[in-house]
Amino acid sequence: MRPHNARVEIAAVNPRRGGAVLATVLVACVLLLSAQAQARGGRGTVLQSWILSLSAPVAAAVGSVSHGASDAVGSMLALFRVREENARLRRELDERERELFRLRAEALQGAEDRRLLGGGSALPGVLGSVPILLVEGRAGAHSVLIGAGSADGVVPGSPLAVPAGLVGRVVTVGRGVSRAQLLLDASAAAGARIARTGELGVVRGDGHGALVLNNIATTSSVARGDLVESAGIDGIYPRGVPIGRVASVSRGSKLFLEVRVTPSAEFSRLTDVLLLAPSLAAKEGAEAGRSAPR
Amino acid sequence: MKVSRIALLLAAAAVLEFFVGRSPYRAFVPVDWFLLGTAAVARSGDFVRAVLTGAAAGSLEDALSQPLIGLNAFAKAVIGYALTLVSVRVVFGGALAVGGALFVASLANEAIVALLAALLAQSPVVIFTRDALWRAAATGIAGGALESAWNFPWRDWWQRRRLRRLR
Repeated sequence: MRPHNARVEIAAVNPRRGGAVLATVLVACVLLLSAQAQARGGRGTVLQSWILSLSAPVAAAVGSVSHGASDAVGSMLALFRVREENARLRRELDERERELFRLRAEALQGAEDRRLLGGGSALPGVLGSVPILLVEGRAGAHSVLIGAGSADGVVPGSPLAVPAGLVGRVVTVGRGVSRAQLLLDASAAAGARIARTGELGVVRGDGHGALVLNNIATTSSVARGDLVESAGIDGIYPRGVPIGRVASVSRGSKLFLEVRVTPSAEFSRLTDVLLLAPSLAAKEGAEAGRSAPR
Repeated sequence: MKVSRIALLLAAAAVLEFFVGRSPYRAFVPVDWFLLGTAAVARSGDFVRAVLTGAAAGSLEDALSQPLIGLNAFAKAVIGYALTLVSVRVVFGGALAVGGALFVASLANEAIVALLAALLAQSPVVIFTRDALWRAAATGIAGGALESAWNFPWRDWWQRRRLRRLR
């Protein structure tokens, strides 16, 4: 599509004018970023909150269409796979029969393990299930948009989990949509505890899809396979929610071990998450934020 | 490109972000739709609109997914300018060239966002991860496919198909 007159056309393709606009936009961006970086204090901005609120109807509508389309695609794929799966299932059934005896014994052992871990697998204060609308992982920042907001009782700091383990926390709340930071985020951190030894540390996302447990002394007896759960010392996450299992232990800095943790929650397959009750500190923070003049 | 078309392009990009983001198959199509929108405007050769579209698309993306508004806006404004420069100054065309340019642009976007986040939010610098490369590849492939579809002589193809059927 060409502009109607020649002067407009020349102006449009003039890189000098474009450069001036680019410089203006970049300066505006830097100013905006600087203002937020100083004033944020770990919480989302008012502008983000407004945009999330405005985008809620679109997100919900498109999300439901996407869900429907995904279901349709899933059904079609299932149809194609069903014959092959039938044969496989028959083979598996035979195997399962054999495994049954072994599994019964393991189930008894598992129940005993759970009792010993202090019921760590039971999630405390579940408020309900919320759908995930969008997952973003860019430049080490891993975040999700969830289909619940202040109208559903979500406050900044509300923890999110799945039955397998901790997922992250809400950082910005709109009316019907909120943004949450995943534990995998390079700047996310949670107070953690090694269930077997009781040692405390800080779990951080490495930005590459794994977790690192910091502040574990070299004298620790932590071993591969140990369960890492939330310690409840950070004022955000409740105590006793599984975070992951120790994948490797290596000599880190002089005083601390470098402990890599495989997350319990399958972050690549998240479709819905459980919203947990926010901690007292998060609630008070949210109330203070609401009453403070903007 | 008309302003109304640019607005439509950005709206479509936002809708596609949500559509793909909600889907359980999102890991297979991590296309940067906002970058494609910026590139489409840049392709028309209008520097001002490409920069402003990049800034608007980036701001929208930041509001949805980044801790600070302005990270992607900065990156996409720069990329909008750079892509316009490439499309105006370089003899440019073909799905492969467009796909390659978008691949590089997506990685550049990632690098700029990571560096800005490190400077302003003290985040660790995480650049060129496997996810970033896959996103860049998906964006490049999607851009190349759209370029091919845009240049394909659909009318001739349809007429030839009809003639074949009549015979």
